[in-house]
Amino acid sequence: MTTSHSKRSRRTFFLQGGAALGAGVAASGGAAALIVERTMPANDALAELQQRLVLLEDREAIRQLHLTFTQLIEAQQYEAAAELFNETAQLQLSGVNAQGRSGIRQALAVQYRDQQADVLHNAYRHSAVQKNDSLTVSDDGQYASATFHVEAELCAPLRGDFTLAQMARLQGCAADRRWEAGRFKVECVRTQGQWKIASLSYQSA
Amino acid sequence: MAQRHYRPLQMHRIAYTDLTETQMTQLLRPAANGPSSRSVVSNALAGKRIKIVTDGGPILEYAFRNGRELELSENGGKTIKAKYGALESRSLVLISHMIPGTQRGYTLTVDQRTGLATAFEVFFSGYAAIETAAAAEAKRPPQFKMGRRNREAQRKIWFGYVDSDGAPTARHTFTNRLEGKGIHWRQDNDIEILEFYLSIIYSNMIELTRFGGEMTTCAPSDYIMVNDHQFIYSRIECEFAGTFTLQLIDLFDMTQKGVRLGLNEKDELEYYLYTGQGEVVGQIASFEAFGNNAETRGARRVYRPLETFETMSDAEVKDQALNHAHSFGDGKGSGAAGMAGYKSEVVTRFAGKQLSIRMDNGPAIDYDFVDGKKLKWRYAGDGHWREAWYEMYEPDEELYFFAHFLDAEFPRSCAMVALDMKNGLSTLLKGATGTPFRNNETHPTYYFGTFQTEGAPTPPTYLRHGWTDEMVGECVTWNYQRGNPGLSSMHFYATPSTYSWIIFQPDGSGGMQWSSPGWYSKLRDGVYIMAWVEEACNGTLGVICFNQRLMHDAGFGFHVGSRGLSLSVIGARARHAGKFNIKQYLGLKA
Repeated sequence: MTTSHSKRSRRTFFLQGGAALGAGVAASGGAAALIVERTMPANDALAELQQRLVLLEDREAIRQLHLTFTQLIEAQQYEAAAELFNETAQLQLSGVNAQGRSGIRQALAVQYRDQQADVLHNAYRHSAVQKNDSLTVSDDGQYASATFHVEAELCAPLRGDFTLAQMARLQGCAADRRWEAGRFKVECVRTQGQWKIASLSYQSA
Repeated sequence: MAQRHYRPLQMHRIAYTDLTETQMTQLLRPAANGPSSRSVVSNALAGKRIKIVTDGGPILEYAFRNGRELELSENGGKTIKAKYGALESRSLVLISHMIPGTQRGYTLTVDQRTGLATAFEVFFSGYAAIETAAAAEAKRPPQFKMGRRNREAQRKIWFGYVDSDGAPTARHTFTNRLEGKGIHWRQDNDIEILEFYLSIIYSNMIELTRFGGEMTTCAPSDYIMVNDHQFIYSRIECEFAGTFTLQLIDLFDMTQKGVRLGLNEKDELEYYLYTGQGEVVGQIASFEAFGNNAETRGARRVYRPLETFETMSDAEVKDQALNHAHSFGDGKGSGAAGMAGYKSEVVTRFAGKQLSIRMDNGPAIDYDFVDGKKLKWRYAGDGHWREAWYEMYEPDEELYFFAHFLDAEFPRSCAMVALDMKNGLSTLLKGATGTPFRNNETHPTYYFGTFQTEGAPTPPTYLRHGWTDEMVGECVTWNYQRGNPGLSSMHFYATPSTYSWIIFQPDGSGGMQWSSPGWYSKLRDGVYIMAWVEEACNGTLGVICFNQRLMHDAGFGFHVGSRGLSLSVIGARARHAGKFNIKQYLGLKA
C-alpha cells in the first residue's frame, strides 16, 4: 500500500519543458508521470494514476493560465488580463507594479491602455532556453510556482499631444521597440476550484 | 485644361449637414433607380444568373434580367428587384446597385475569367453603431462630437467567388502594390482629378475640377489586387461629405471604371458610373520590408481630428496667452522632446549684438540679443523694449532662423525670422492665434524684406526671398525622434498652397493621413521655408527651414490650447522619397 509520504513525494517534482511556452512542461513531465511500478497492487496503481492525472491537469491549467495572460496582454485586452489574478495578487511588469486585482486592473488601464508606462510589453515569443522552464505544485494541490522563459517585445510609448504623436499612437506605433530575453516568475493559487495568479513578475535575463 | 471650380470653402471648412436617418432615407430614395452613366453601360451579365459566395459574408444570388434590372436574394432570403449599372474592364465587371427601400447596396467586382469576386457592401447611417461598438471594445468614449455621421458611407468588404464547378482557393487580396503611385485622371463626366496612393489605408486627392486644385485632401481607402495590372481602389470621404468612390484601375491601358455614391455638400445625391483615362505622374518609394505585400492588412483606421480638437472661446485663448505662455523651456532650453529629436546645435552668434529687420509692406522690428537665450525686441519706433526667450539655428551657412513670442498685441503672435547673412535678406513669418473658424487655430502672415546688423552685406534693392513652387510634387520622410523606429512621417508637398502628412504604421507601410494649407518660400537654392497650419485638426502652425543638401531642417511650432500657448522647436532628419510630376496640372487658369 502506498504511504502518504510516497504520495506527497510524487506530487512535488521538478519538470523540464520543451519547445513551446511551457508546453514541454506538460509533455515531458506527463510521460514520466504515467510510469507506474509494475509490482504495485492494482488499487494502489489506480490511485497513483489518478493522482498523477490530477497533477497533469493542474500543470496544464497553470500553463494555460499563463499563456492566456500573455495572449491577453498582446491583444491589449487588459481588463480580461486583470481577471486572471486573485484578490490579493501582485504584478511586476518592467516597471509597472500593482497590488491586488483592482490595483492591477487600474494599473493596466492607466499604465498600459493610456500608455503612461515608460515600457510596455507588446508581444512575446518562444525563448531559446524554454527547456529551463519549471513548474512546481504543492502537495495539497492548492499552490503552484513556475518559471517561464520568454522573449518579450518591449516598447516605449510615444509621448506628446502634438498631431503626429497622436496619429502614430492611434496606429499602434511606439517610440522604440526591442526584443529581450526574460522570464516570468509566477505563483498561483487554487481559488474555488480555479487556478488564479497570485503573483507575476517579469525579470530580464 | 479642364474646368476648374474654385470654392469659397475647401472640403475641411464646409459644415456638412448632420443628416438624420429619415433624411438620409429620403435623399437616397432616387438611388433605387441605379447609377447614371455618361458612358455606355455593360450588358455583360444580361440574362445571366450568378451566385456569389463570400468568405464569412453574404451569399448573393443574382438574376440579371437585362442590362439595368436585376433580382437579388441575400442568404437565401426573399428576392428583391433592383436597378443596377455595370461597366467592364477586360474580364472584370463592376456592378453597382442599391437595395430599394434601404440605405444599403452592393458594389461588386466579378472576374469572368477567374471566377473570383469581391463584394463591397455599402451602407449609410451605420457610423453610430460601428463607433459605439468600437468605443466599447477600446474602452474609450464614442466619437459623436460631429454628429452621427449618417451621411458617411460605410463599407464591409467580402472576398469570394462565383459559385460554379468547385470553389477556387484563390481570392482577391488587400495589397500595397499601388502604394507610392500618383495618377492624373480625366473622367467621362469632365471631372479631372489627381489621386495619390501614398498609404495602404488612405489616399490623397487633388480635386482639380470640383475644388479648383488648390488643396489636397485625404480619405480612408482600400486597395485590392485582382491581378498584376488590375486593382480595386475605393475611398470614403470621411470627415467631409462621406461620399463613397470605387474604381477598377487597369495599369496596362491606364483606364478606370468607377462608381460614385453619396451626397455632396448641398445634400444632393450623386450616384453614377464613370470611366476615365489616366496618366502616371510618378512613383515614390515605399518603406515596408521586402516581402510585405499588405495581404494581411489590419483594420483600416479613420483619423477624426475634429473629434479631439478642442474649441476655445476668445477669452479662453486670451487667458492662455496671458497666463500660460511658454517658449523654449522658459529659458531652460527646448530639449529634444516632441518633434525636436534631431534639432541642431543652438546658435548664439548674435549674443550681445543688435539688428533690425525691415519687411517690405510689413513690420520693422529691432532686436537686442541679450545672450544666447534671451532677446529684447520692439517694433521700430516704439520706445519700449520687450523681453522674450528665443532659440536660433543655422540651417545653412550664414543663414539663421530664430523665433520668439510677440506679446505687444492681441491676438498673440510669434515671429519666426530668417536672416540671410550672405544676401542681407530677411523673411519674417508672423504666426498669430485665431482664424475665422476657431479661436485656437493659428494662421501665418509672410513678409519678405531685409535686415541690418554689424557685418551684414548691403541688401539688394529688388531681389527678395520669395514664393516658390519648386517643392511641389516632392515627398520627403521626416524622422523626428531617435529610437526604433522613433517618430516618423512623410510629407507630400502637393500644391503650392497645401501639403499632406502620412503617418507610417509599425511595419513601415503608409497609414493614416491628414492635410492642410501650406506655404513655400525659397531662401536659397535648395533651402526653403515650408509652413503649414493644421486646420480642422490641432490648429498648430509648423514652420521648417529645410536644407535639401543636408536633408535636415530647423523649425518651430506655434500652438494654443487648453494647456497653454507654446513655441517649440522642430528638428528632424529627412530622406527623399520621390517626386511627382504634377506642376503642369496646378496653378492659375490660363
